[in-house]
Amino acid sequence: MFWRKTRAAIAGFHPLHQKLIWERTLSATLPRAEWAALIASLARHGAVVRRRKWRLPERTESVLVPLIRLLCEDVDRGRVGVTADLRGRDVPGKAGPRQDLPVVRPVRRAQQWWVFDSWLSVRSELRDGSVLELAVTDVVRHRHVVKVNPRGKRKSKTKTKAVQRVYATRSLAKGQPFQQPGSPPPPWIRVRPRGRSRMVIRAVAKLPMPRQADELPLMMTVATELFRWTPARRRRSA
Amino acid sequence: MTPCLVSTGFLVLGRCGRASVTACARCGRPVCDRHAVPGAYAGLCPECAAAQGYGTPYDPLWTVGYRGHHSHQTLPAYTQPGWYTDFDDFDRGAFDPEDQADFGDPGDFDDGERDFVDS
Repeated sequence: MFWRKTRAAIAGFHPLHQKLIWERTLSATLPRAEWAALIASLARHGAVVRRRKWRLPERTESVLVPLIRLLCEDVDRGRVGVTADLRGRDVPGKAGPRQDLPVVRPVRRAQQWWVFDSWLSVRSELRDGSVLELAVTDVVRHRHVVKVNPRGKRKSKTKTKAVQRVYATRSLAKGQPFQQPGSPPPPWIRVRPRGRSRMVIRAVAKLPMPRQADELPLMMTVATELFRWTPARRRRSA
Repeated sequence: MTPCLVSTGFLVLGRCGRASVTACARCGRPVCDRHAVPGAYAGLCPECAAAQGYGTPYDPLWTVGYRGHHSHQTLPAYTQPGWYTDFDDFDRGAFDPEDQADFGDPGDFDDGERDFVDS
């Protein structure tokens, strides 16, 4: 059997790490120490696994690991839940039904369909008693057009347009103070607070598909916006 | 007991507050055993160690460096009512149309020993 040493090394990885390699998905709710164990296992991946087929999904190092690290910073005894589907947006089941669009000659057929890839969902119980939920969805519009010229030559082309939607919700603890920030958020973030005794603040952002390196900073900008709506905690310094 | 004064958290900031066991060799901040940096930057607090360069997210120190980086990057995105109060008369003087090409009095930058044009 080929690659048996690598297979044996992978068998020694953290079970969630193995699932990330074989299935390209991750779904777990763990305390901080367990996530640290998973990240330590992921850190060994590059040195042990050389096979291209078994490398980690692209967003693991750019989004998943940093996000878990950042969320674990704010968790004392709570848990962080992560559901990530890093299979990509081209896998079956993510595309919606195709719709026929009205056409005029020489266009013979035009179809449009949408791909919804909800690839990340996070829930974190923070140390101030609030709960943060973060979800990211890639929405891709495909348009396929077929046209025929007067001599019967047939041409087709497909265009795609991708946007990313980031949803962040912070449910404050009961009685936790709430205040509107003095300055507005960036224009691409929409914030809506709801509730009375237990406030729920929701921020939504719609962005042109960012580069992979920019995904985490944009997600964290949406998440940190929710924390401007509560007054700063008194520091425990002496 | 001297509490550890290392800043913790990313979204919910706070101080560690545990009993300190040592002090940072650079800034003198009290540091507890949990936040004492091991390895190449031993003896420094996490902030001073991150200022030396933070690596990949696999490194626990990465979050300290990223916290400052993210704050610095997102600050311009927010409208700051107090932005113009940070400038003094010298900063505003560059935009004064009646004061063009005036870069201060001749002796403003002369420290008396090293002349500007002296090679």
